[in-house]
Amino acid sequence: MRRQVNAELKKFRTIWSTWLILGITAFLVGALTSVIAFAPHGRGRRAVLFPAQGTARWFDSIFSTLSISLTLALVLGILCMTGEYRHKTITPTYLAEPRRGRVVISKLLASGVGGAAVAVAGGAVALVFGFGVVGGGIGNVGRMLTEYRHVFPGVLVAAILYALYGVGLGALLKNQVVAIIVGLGVTVIVEPILVGVVPSVGRWLPGQLADALQSVTASANGIGSGSTNLVTWWEGGLGLLGYGIVLAAAGALTTLRTDVT
Amino acid sequence: MVTGFLGPNGAGKTTTLRMLLGLVAPTSGGALVNGVAYHDLPDPTRAVGGVLEASGFHPARTARNHLRVVATVSGIDYGRVDEVLELVGLGSDRDRKVGGFSLGMRQRLELARALLGDPQVLILDEPANGLDPQGIAWMRGFLRWYATQGRVVLVSSHLLAEAAQTVDRVIILAGGRLVADGRLDELLQGATTTVRVRTPDAARLVRVLEQAAATGSVEHAPTSVRLEDADVVVAEGTTPEVVGPLIAREAIVVYEMTSSGESLEQLFFELTEGVDRGGRPMGQPPAPNAPFPGGPDEGVASTP
Repeated sequence: MRRQVNAELKKFRTIWSTWLILGITAFLVGALTSVIAFAPHGRGRRAVLFPAQGTARWFDSIFSTLSISLTLALVLGILCMTGEYRHKTITPTYLAEPRRGRVVISKLLASGVGGAAVAVAGGAVALVFGFGVVGGGIGNVGRMLTEYRHVFPGVLVAAILYALYGVGLGALLKNQVVAIIVGLGVTVIVEPILVGVVPSVGRWLPGQLADALQSVTASANGIGSGSTNLVTWWEGGLGLLGYGIVLAAAGALTTLRTDVT
Repeated sequence: MVTGFLGPNGAGKTTTLRMLLGLVAPTSGGALVNGVAYHDLPDPTRAVGGVLEASGFHPARTARNHLRVVATVSGIDYGRVDEVLELVGLGSDRDRKVGGFSLGMRQRLELARALLGDPQVLILDEPANGLDPQGIAWMRGFLRWYATQGRVVLVSSHLLAEAAQTVDRVIILAGGRLVADGRLDELLQGATTTVRVRTPDAARLVRVLEQAAATGSVEHAPTSVRLEDADVVVAEGTTPEVVGPLIAREAIVVYEMTSSGESLEQLFFELTEGVDRGGRPMGQPPAPNAPFPGGPDEGVASTP
C-alpha cells in the first residue's frame, strides 16, 4: 500500500496542475489578505468586515481568508481521481494495480497529503502577510500567533478532509467537468439555499460540517459562516470524513467497476 | 513463440485482450494468465506486460516520470526506467513531455511501460499502429527476439502481411468466435494451392482436369480450371501432386508447372468470410471512372 500511495504522490508532483492549485491558493490568500489588511477600517457595521488593524478581530479576518484552501483542496481531490479517466492513464494505473479498491484507497491517502499541502501553502502566505503588516510591536505578533493557532489547525484538517471528499466525488462521477461542477455547485448554490430553507439538513452539508469542525478552536471568534446552527466539531469532522469515504466506496462499488475501454 | 491474434474489425480482439488484462469484465466465463485471473497475480507488472492502444498519458508528464510512477507502484528500480527508454529508442526524449510526442513515440513509450517488469508474457494490441516503416521493422525484430528469450508474445493485428512475417502461431477470431487456432505453417500446409501449367496442349489439359473434378475420381481435384493464356492452364484448389500424375497419364507435354501456396491473407478471408463482422460489411468499391458520390458531377445537368 505504501508503494501505491508513493506512486500517487509522484503523480501529484509530476504534473503542473498540482503546482497551479498550490499557486492559486497562495495567490488568493495573498490577494484577499491584502484587501483586508490595507483597506481603511470602518466604523459601526463596516467594522465587522474591516476591523481596525492589529486587533484580534482584524487578525481573524486576515486568517479567515484561509477558508479558500478548502475549495482548492476539493478540486485537487477531484482531479486526482477524474484526471486518470480524462487522460486515460487509468489503463496503466489498473494494469500496475488491478485491485481497484486499493487504487481508490491510495488516492484518498495521497490526496489527504495534497489537501494538507494546499492548506500549508495558504497558511504560509497568510502568516507572511500577517507579519508584513503587523508593524505594531511584539504585543501584536503575539496576538497574531494566538489567532493563527486558533484558525490554522481547523483549516488544515478541513482541507485534508475536503480533498478526500473530492476523491469521493471523482470516484462516483468519474467525469472531471461534472465532478467539479457538482462539487462547487453544492458549496456555492445548494448549501446556502438548504441552510436557509431546511437548516436541519443544511448543517450536514460539507461546508457547514467544515465550519463546525473549525469552530473547535475558532468559534469564540466567530470564524466561518458565523452560523449558530452548527453540529458539534467532532460531528463535523466525522461527517466530512464520511463524505469522502462513503462517496469513494460508492464509486468503487459502482462506476469504477465498469470496463476500461 | 509469437502468437498472432487476428480478426476483422469488430471481431472482439481488443475486448478479449482487455479481458485478459482485467480491464474489461467478461459477461460470462473468465480470462486467465498463467492459470490465474489478472487481478490475482501477485505482481502483475512482472508477470504480464500489456501494450494497449487506448492507453493514456498525462500530456504534462515527462516520459521518464510516466514510467517512474509505474515503477514506484511495482517496486521497480528507477534505473530500469532509463534502461527500457533506451531500449525503445526514447533515451534522448526521456525528459520531454508526452504531450509533444508523435503517435509512434507514444507507442514506443507504451511498450517501454509494458517492459518495465521484464515480464514473461507480453500482450500487444496493434503495436504497429502509428509506427513508421523503420519502426514496424524494429517492432517485428523486437518481438521475434523477445520470443527467442523463451517468453510468450501474444500480438493482435489487422495487418496480415505484417503478422505473417512475425508470428509462429495464429488465432483467428470472426464475429466474436474462434475460427482458427494453430501453427501458421500447419494451417497453410493443409490448405490448397493454385497450380499453373504451361503446355502446348492447354485445351486438352483443361478437359482432363475438368473431368477429374466432375467425376471426383481423384482426391483434391481442382475446384476451378481456366485458361489464363493460350498455353497456360490455372487450376485452383488442388496440388501439384494431383495434377502431375494426371498429366503423366494423359502424356501431355509440359514446359513449366508451378504452384503457389495459400497466403495468410487468403486463409484469413476464407475463414472469416460470411461471418458476421459485428459491423456492416463494406460495399463494392466504386468503378474506377464512376463520379464521386455526391460530387459536383452528380445530378448536375450538362446543358451548354
